[in-house]
Order: sequence, then structure tokens, then C-alpha cells
Amino acid sequence: MAFDPTRGLPEAPLSWGDTRWNKTGSWRHMRPEVRERAAPCAKACPLGNPIPDVMTAVSRGDLEGAARLLLERNPFPSITGRVCPHPCEVGCNRRRYDEPLAIRSVERLVGDWAHEHRTVFSPRETGKRVAIVGSGPAGLAAASFLRRQGHRVVVYDRNDRVGGMLVDAIPSYRLPRSMVEREARALEEMGVVFQLGVTVGRDVSVEQLLVSYDAVLVATGAHGERTMGIPGEEHFIGGLAFLRSVRRGQRKPPGRRVAVVGGGNVAIDVARTLVRLGAQPVVLYRRTRKEMPAIEEEVERAEADGVEFQFLTLPVAARKLDGYLRLTVVRMQLGERDRTGRPRPVPIPGSEFALECDAAIRAIGEVAETDFLPREVLDDQGWVVADKVTGATQRKGLFVAGDLVTGPATVVEAIAAGLRAGRAMDRFVRGEPLPVQEKPLPTVPLKEINLAYFPQAARVPIPELPLSTRSRTFDEEILGLDVESARREAGRCFSCGSCNLCANCWIFCPDAAIHLDGDLPRVDLEYCKGCGLCAAECPRGVITMKEELAREEVVA
Amino acid sequence: MSTGTLTWAGVEVPREEYLHPGHLACQGCGAALAMRLVLKAMGGDAMVVLPACCWTIIDGPFPYHALKVPLLHTAFETAAAAAAGVKAGLEVLGDTRTQVIAWAGDGGTFDIGLQALSGAAERNEDILYVCYDNEAYMNTGIQRSSATPLGAWTTTTPEAHPEDRPKKDLMAIMAAHRIPYAATATVAFPDDLIRKVRKARGIKGTRLIHILAPCPPGWRMESELMIKVSRLAVATGAFPLFEVEGGTRYTVTYRPAQVPLKEYLKLQGRFAHLTEDQIATLEQLVKARWQELLDLHARTHGQAEEIPVVPIGG
Amino acid sequence: MVTVSATKVITGNHAVSYGALLSRVQVISAYPITPQTQVVELLSEFVASGRLAARFITVESEHSAMAACIGAASVGARTFTATSSQGLALMHEMLHWASGARLPIVMANINRALAPPWSIWTDQTDSLAQRDTGWMQVYVETSQEALDSIILGFKVSERVLLPTMVVLDAFLLSHTAEPVEIYDQGRVDEFLPPFSAPYRLSPGVPQALGGLADPGVYFEFRVKLQEAMERAQEAIVEEGERFGRLFGRFYGLVHEEHTEDAETVIVAAGTMAGTARAAVRELRSKGRKVGLVRIRVFRPFPFSEVRRILEGRRRVAVLDRNLSPGHHGIFYEEVKSALYPVSARPLVVGYVLGLGGRDVRPEDIQAIVDDVEKREEAPEIVWWGVRR
Repeated sequence: MAFDPTRGLPEAPLSWGDTRWNKTGSWRHMRPEVRERAAPCAKACPLGNPIPDVMTAVSRGDLEGAARLLLERNPFPSITGRVCPHPCEVGCNRRRYDEPLAIRSVERLVGDWAHEHRTVFSPRETGKRVAIVGSGPAGLAAASFLRRQGHRVVVYDRNDRVGGMLVDAIPSYRLPRSMVEREARALEEMGVVFQLGVTVGRDVSVEQLLVSYDAVLVATGAHGERTMGIPGEEHFIGGLAFLRSVRRGQRKPPGRRVAVVGGGNVAIDVARTLVRLGAQPVVLYRRTRKEMPAIEEEVERAEADGVEFQFLTLPVAARKLDGYLRLTVVRMQLGERDRTGRPRPVPIPGSEFALECDAAIRAIGEVAETDFLPREVLDDQGWVVADKVTGATQRKGLFVAGDLVTGPATVVEAIAAGLRAGRAMDRFVRGEPLPVQEKPLPTVPLKEINLAYFPQAARVPIPELPLSTRSRTFDEEILGLDVESARREAGRCFSCGSCNLCANCWIFCPDAAIHLDGDLPRVDLEYCKGCGLCAAECPRGVITMKEELAREEVVA
Repeated sequence: MSTGTLTWAGVEVPREEYLHPGHLACQGCGAALAMRLVLKAMGGDAMVVLPACCWTIIDGPFPYHALKVPLLHTAFETAAAAAAGVKAGLEVLGDTRTQVIAWAGDGGTFDIGLQALSGAAERNEDILYVCYDNEAYMNTGIQRSSATPLGAWTTTTPEAHPEDRPKKDLMAIMAAHRIPYAATATVAFPDDLIRKVRKARGIKGTRLIHILAPCPPGWRMESELMIKVSRLAVATGAFPLFEVEGGTRYTVTYRPAQVPLKEYLKLQGRFAHLTEDQIATLEQLVKARWQELLDLHARTHGQAEEIPVVPIGG
Repeated sequence: MVTVSATKVITGNHAVSYGALLSRVQVISAYPITPQTQVVELLSEFVASGRLAARFITVESEHSAMAACIGAASVGARTFTATSSQGLALMHEMLHWASGARLPIVMANINRALAPPWSIWTDQTDSLAQRDTGWMQVYVETSQEALDSIILGFKVSERVLLPTMVVLDAFLLSHTAEPVEIYDQGRVDEFLPPFSAPYRLSPGVPQALGGLADPGVYFEFRVKLQEAMERAQEAIVEEGERFGRLFGRFYGLVHEEHTEDAETVIVAAGTMAGTARAAVRELRSKGRKVGLVRIRVFRPFPFSEVRRILEGRRRVAVLDRNLSPGHHGIFYEEVKSALYPVSARPLVVGYVLGLGGRDVRPEDIQAIVDDVEKREEAPEIVWWGVRR
């Protein structure tokens, strides 16, 4: 901008203006785009927990903020913080750099803190009424959500306890009962009503519920134990039944040497429980360790407990002899892959051998009981048919969620399903359209993380009961982190794709063209020269450089 | 909002800007960022004396001015002398508070300005001398200076005969003058730079900060690499960060990380012609220099083991 | 502080020091060079004893000396330095800077020959070679005038915002002691109040002094500089008058003596004018119609005075103790070109003499008068006193 001296010139060459008239934004051919993306941990989490933001809050010592963020997506962090198989940690970008974040342990700390600092929330009543059948994780999640929206929520359970699998199957060394009771109390404080000892389908029908309530959620889980269909089946104890008995106080093992058939979570829970009762379990699984559907961590712990595994084995008959059982077990080999993608086990002819044991427990899978549901919502195999996003069934007002729908899965998936159904039911009772599938955000891969800002650091050691004693007790085996350790660990989080106002972009801009006056950095496009330093130095892939648009498109 | 501070790597940084956007620095200019950071460290409370250098242009033509502090333009070789004069003038007029910053490039410090700097330092003039070092005469088109490192291409040390003299040791020269405080810094470590400037601010006498300020066009690299290159200069040991107090007490800020020198050199076109052997020679020189520095640190502090490694990952 | 006017027998150099003391200079930045050294030595004593409340920066070269003066002046301090020959030549770049930045710095230059070969003796070439730098130049004849011209220098400089160089002959004036009246501070303060700089850098006011001026504006700054020089002519006369009324000594651009009916006029500057005066008085006593013009102010060049006094004369002899190689003596060149528009032009002859401190006596000047009166045309150059 040329200066015109005819307008007046001082005697001495003393400047009086500044350079702000010079819109150096015109120099650009690339421009920075500030856009948050999903972190792989949040994407992997069935609940979509806002993990990076939670970690940022924890690292700053703001547990209240962390709790608020976490509870928006997960009503039971104290539970998932104990039993979740943490797909988040598997997806964590830091895993491929040094060690993944101990997300589950941090979640547990936040959840426990939230309970210790809990205040009663009394929502504004809507006058709508919803019924939930089943107080397992799916049902409780829906109850939590729906009550917070202000609806009257009544939860029915045929059991005398709240929690379903949480209290009747999952062993207490993984999840103490007090943790579930605490959740139930919190829900009651909020106004959720529990009707325990009521069997829907017998004491009251689904039809009656559909009349009395504005919406009904059935989340009764999958408790029917599969049978093997072999001679001598009757000598086998059901895995779930066994676990329930132990959770109700049974401390005598069914025998010393106990065969456990199966490779899923129930089988492992059974085996590890047996160890604690002083028995010697041997797990018979028809495929190899690699194909075991049980949570890997639990399998490792079972091995550490001293559980014996015999892979590629399948009992084909059982005989009760004088005080013990003789099982006829055939060896298997892996053949073609089946529908689920796993190799089909094929018996090796002539490989039968005898295995003697004091007792045998089968845990080869659970099925849902669906006969109490209206016919119209079932398929010909008797499984419930429901919308994947909303849990809505053919029957208006009737929703389903959890293992009832999917067969045995994980607690976190059940909670996620319960919340999805809850959100849909909330819309439904208000007469609003049901939610649709959210478009997933793109994620930030490791190569977009600026590792220069993250010196390598080991993961926080998670305290546990000592190996020597833990397999003798039903006390919780994994202990919690203290706040300081959690803060430090949370500080390791890359916060992939989620801006935590680290201010790198702001501090490195040579043109002072980045402003931190909101939740996200704001680029002043009038001056930004497009040097790319903000994008290069953003540690977490929130800023990327895009080609500059035509001039006309910039004016806004 | 431009009031208050924010914390960056444990250092309080004022949000207020003392540099206006619209200045004429190239994209990704290390010198512009250096000025921005130094003025923040001073809280905008200073006067700047500026000899001929890139900043003469960056500041904008008459009647414009890119800084929020007063600035005296002066001839190439005179930064330290003019700054001493400004300080004297302020003091006799009753202002003993305002600090005077001589802000010069490597040319105006290592070469043509060295006499004035030496004179001012020897007299212990109460000025803060900041040399922003882009390792050549960048403003006039990338000609070599005595700050140009061994092996570098410049327009007067072309590829057929690149720079064949090692970089002049400015810190040793300053140490020999026994000034109260001298330190090296670079823009990739703004927390360290700000701490050192604040430390200098609280000392009377001649204080010098030698800032490595990479120049994307002059070093032949993309602008977005400017901070990375600055960081690698430190991480590889090519540009040591340290302080010298009273000319005899050495404190090394960081030890280099285990990053080969090649990682720093390969990002810059000005080193593209180097052979493996030449790089190895440069590595040896860097190592030898480090041995000297660590010895000096140990002589001051008793031992060198506790110096933290430069905090970078990757 | 000098509270009562006193007369002391002091050298030209020390008269300069007293001039700076009385002017209450605030920052002095100087580098020693023969024969300037006594100027700064006495000033450093004044500063060390507290008699002068100034900062004295003992810089490491003359270039830095002027740079430091510029620094101090840019924030509004009254600044002073002194130098000679090589030092002045080294300062050249910064002399331009001082005037371009419109800073009222006052400097004493002791005229000394430029090397090589080395010479410490008097010669005007050093200061005259700086005539294009935008500094006002005042050539003094006596120690009193040296002291007075320092004070006047600040007065005029601060009025028109241009620096002033007060020029003394090496040894002939710098080291020769004469009686000098050293005025009381009160009267000087009345004449020269504290400097209030209209264009200065102030802490907290974001301005830049001396930034890039493109072809669209640089020209106009030079025009302003020239206009300031033109205003300086009037300012020098007015302030010289005012000084005279206060202190009894009047100063102007040009001083003339015995010119009323002179047919031949000697034009000279510095101590040479004093020598010429002795010759002129001697010749007058013999009835010769000779007059003397002492050019006191060389920049701004006193065109009207020179034209007014020299118009209609028969012969003019210009004495130059300097040389612009490839041309002539510099006072000669400038006087001659100043006379160009005058219709009744005298014959002007330029005499180059006394270079490198060669002595010039009144007899030499009498002989020059004889010589110029004999000439009918002016040669390109006339060397006087060359040993060949």
C-alpha cells in the first residue's frame, strides 16, 4: 500500500502506522483447517466414550470434569472400569509407539470418584412411564438414561438382586457385588423403582406392560445354557448355575479335579473360580487358544492361576463311575472356516482317550429365552428381530437390547445397546422420530501424531493382588490407581484428533494469526500465510493443511 | 482474548501480542517467531534497536511499523553501539527501567557488527543483545556469513565449493568478554527461550541471547519444517542449548538425544550435496564440541550426568 | 556549575569542552584521536567529578561513537562528540544517518590531514569531504568562538533539527591557549533551554525511526532536509544576534572586515582568516584597498552573503587549506559557483596552501594579494608554498 507524501509528511522518518492493513492472507496457497476427528480408542469403544477429553481432564486434576464427560456416554464407569475387555486400549495409537494408555484403570478411578462425590439428581418429570424387564447391564443403562430424561422408570427382574450377570455370573474377584449395589442405590436415589422377584411372562405379561407403560424394554439377557447333546450329559453341571451358586455363597468345589468344557468367558470364569475353591480345573476346548472367544486377558490370568488347558479336545461321552467321572474325549483338528470365520474343528478318527475327573462343568454357550415375547417380534429360530440402531421391534413400543438380542457378548456392548434403546424410547414416548445411525467420524492414525511432543514413557503399573495369594481369594484382584498415578497416566494420552488447547499452534505461529478465544483455535485467514507450522506442530492431528480455495469462496 | 497468560510447558506466556500480523516475513520465518517470543518474554516493555537485516524489511515500510514497541533503525554494524546510546539517553532522561534490545542477525553480529558488540560487551553496557541466527546473509539473498555452518550451500559458497570454515563460536567470544549472561536458544523450545530471556531481563550489564532462527528459503526447505528443523538442531546436538554466566560458569540446558545428525541435515536442501563421509566428519565435530561443553559444565557444576536429555519423542 | 562568568586562558580544545559543559550535554560518546583528545579528556573529568551530569560512553571507534550519539539523540537526549580526520572519515556513514534522522547532534571536528601518508597537522579536507552529509558546518577562528559556537550549535540544531559540526584547526587552534570568557551557567541556560525533541522514540509509543522509504517517499524526505538547511540560514543569523545581545559577541554566516571600499578581497576560513586579517590590516595601513571575508558557516552555504559582499569587486583570492583532487580547493569551487548569477563578477582565483599543516604566514597572504591583483585570468589551480 503506497504511502502518498502529499497527505503530509513529518520532518523525521518516524512511522506512526502499523501493518494490520496488509492482509497477508493473500499470500497463501494452502490453508490450515481446524477440525476435530475421532480417536481410535473412542471409535473402538462401543459406548463411544470421549476418552481423549476425559484423559485431558484427569491429567489436569479435574476429576469432576472428567466424570461429567464420561457419564454422558457411560453410566457405569465403575463397572466397565473393572470388567471391560478394553477395545479402546487395543486401538490406542500409543500402543504402536511405546505402551497403550491404561484407559480402563483411569475409567475406574473416575467412576469410583464420581460415586464418592455423587449428588442426587432429580430430573424434571415428564409424566411418561417406561418399563424395563431385566436389571442386567443393558436394562440398568436404559433405566439410567430414561430416568435422567424425567420419565418414570420401573425395572422388573425375576431375581432377588439387581444386576443380572453382573452379580450372578461374573465372579467377584473381577467385579465385587458392592459395585453393582452401589449403582442400584444411585438409580434408586434418582427415582428408579426396582420390582425384584417378578418374572415377566409369568407374574405379568409383556402385553400387560405394553398397556400400562408408554414403552417397554426387554433386556433379559441370555441365561439358557447350551447342552452338548452327548451321552452322560446329565452328569455335567451348568456353568452359569455353578457360578451363581458360588456368588450366593457356595465355597465347596464340586470335586478336586474338575473338567470344564468350553472356551468362552463363562468357561474361564468357571475355571478361575474353581481354582479359588481349591480345585484343579482342566479346560477342554475344541479349537486352539487362538480361537478362544474368551477375553484374552482372562485367559492369561487363568494360565497364571495355574489352570490346565487341553486344546483341540471335545468330550463325546461321560460315564459316572464310583465317585468320579470318566469322560471320553476325542482329539480335534482345525478344518475349513465356518460362517463366523473360525476354522471348523473336526474330530480326528480314532483319537479318543479317557479323562477322569471328579466333576464336569459345561460352559459351551448361552442362549436367550424368548418364549415370553410376542410371536411377532421373533424369527423362525426364536431369536428376537430388532433394529440395530434403536432396538425397536416389530411391535410398537416394545424395544429389546443386550444378550437377549445378540447372544452372549460383553458388558460394555450390553450397556451400549441399553443406551441406544433408551435414546430411542425417549424419542418414542415424546412422539419424536427415532434416532438414525450416526455417521462415524474419521479417525486419526498414529502417523498423524507428532511424536516429538511425547517422550517415550512406560505405562503406569496397575496394582494387583500378589500372584501367590490372589488365586486363593475371591477379593477383587485388580486394584485401583491412586489419583496421582492416574493423572500421570492420563498425561500420556496423545488426545488423538481432540484439541486440548495445548496451544502449540498459537505459540509457533510467526504471524500471530492464531487465536485461542474459544473451544478450538481460530485461524485469522486475513493474515495466515499458510506456512503450515500449526498443522505440523499440532501433536494430535487436529489441524491439517488444505489447498486454498478461490478468492471468492474465502470472503465470509 | 488477549489479556492474561497461558501456560505452555510450565511457563507463563502472556496472551498479548507485541507483534502485529501483516508483517513482511516469509512464510514460516524463524526470525519473526523469535521476535514474537522475545517480546512476550519482555512483556512488551522494551525499545528495539535494529541494524540492517531481514527485520528491517519485516517491520514494514514507512509509515508502518509491525511492533508494539518503539524501534530505532540503524546502520548494519552499529546495533550494539546504537543500543548503548539509546540506553544512555534513556537513563539521563530519568528512565532507568526501560530495557533496550539490540536485535541483529548473524551478519550484523558475527561479522560487521562484531566490533561494536565487543566494545559494548567489554564496557558491560546495560543492553540485551539478541542475535537471531539464520546462518547467512539472508536479507541480501543467502550469502555466507561467519555463522554459516561447515558444509552448507549459500550463494557465495555454491555447491562446487560449499562453506569450508566452521561456524564462528560466538558464545566463546562472549564468554571471553566476561559478560554477566549469555545463552543460546531456539524457537522450537519457546519455554526455554522465554525462561532465558526473562532471566536476562533481571540482570544488569551486557546480556546476549543467541537464537537459532531457521530460514525456510535460505536453508532450502518447506516452511512447515521450520520448527522441526529447529528441534532437530538441538536433538542432534548440532546447536547446543546452554548458558554462560560471568564468562566462566557453564550450564548446559539439554544433552542431545540419540538422534543422528543426518536427521537434521537431510531436511535441508543446503546440505543436500553432502556425502556420507562428509556427514561423518560433521558428526565427529559435533561430538568433539559436546565433549568440550560437557567438560565445561562439569567444571562448573561438579558433574555432567544430571543434565536432562532434550525432551523430545519420536 | 559555572555561576559567575570568568575568563580563563585555555586551548581551543578545552574551550570546546567548556562549550559542551555549559550546553549541559547529556550523552557524550567519543573515541580518542590526535589532536581531539583534550576535548574529551576534560569532559570526562567534568563527568567524573559530577560537574557535568552526563553519561560518557568510551566507545571502541568513531563509527560507534556517532552510532551511540544517534541512539541517545533518538530518545531526546542532548548529545555531543568530537573527532578529527581518520575518525571523521570512519564516521562518514553515520553522519548521513544523523542528518537523515534529523537529530540535533553537535560535534567538534579538529581539522587534520587525512592519511596516507600519516599526518596529524591541520588541513581542512577532512571536514569538507563531509559537506554532502547534511551537517551544518561552522569554521571557527578563535577559542572563544569555539566555545560560543558549541552553544550556538545546539541552539540552531535543535531549532531546525539538523546536526552541527564545529570545526577547529589542529594545533593552531586546538592546542593554542587564548583568553576565553566562560559564561555563567544561568545565562547560558536562558539562551539554551533543555532540549524538547519533537520527533523522538518514547517507551510505550510504538513508532519506528528510519524505516524503509520507497521511491514514492524518499525524495520528499530529502526535500525536507534541504528546506531545513534553508531555514537554518535565517536561524543562524537570528540566534547569532540573540547570542550577541546576551553575551556581547555577535555571530553570523559570514564575517567581513575592511570590505567597504575593497577592490581586492581575501576569502578564508578558520585560523587562516586570522592570519589573513593581520595581512589585510598591514596592507590597509599602506593604503591598499584590500578586504577580508571569513566564511564562518560553510553549510548551509551563505549564497546571498557571498554574492552581496563580492559583487562588483575587482579581484577575489580564495584561500583553501584543502583539496578536492581532480577539481580545486573547495571554498574556491563553492564561492565561484555561488557568484555565477552575479552580473558584476570579480575575477576569482583559488589558492591552495598549507596542506598537511604547512605554515602560512601573513607575508604569504600579502604576496597572494599582490599575485591576484596582477592576474588577468584565473588559472585552474594555484599552489602556494609548494616545495618543488
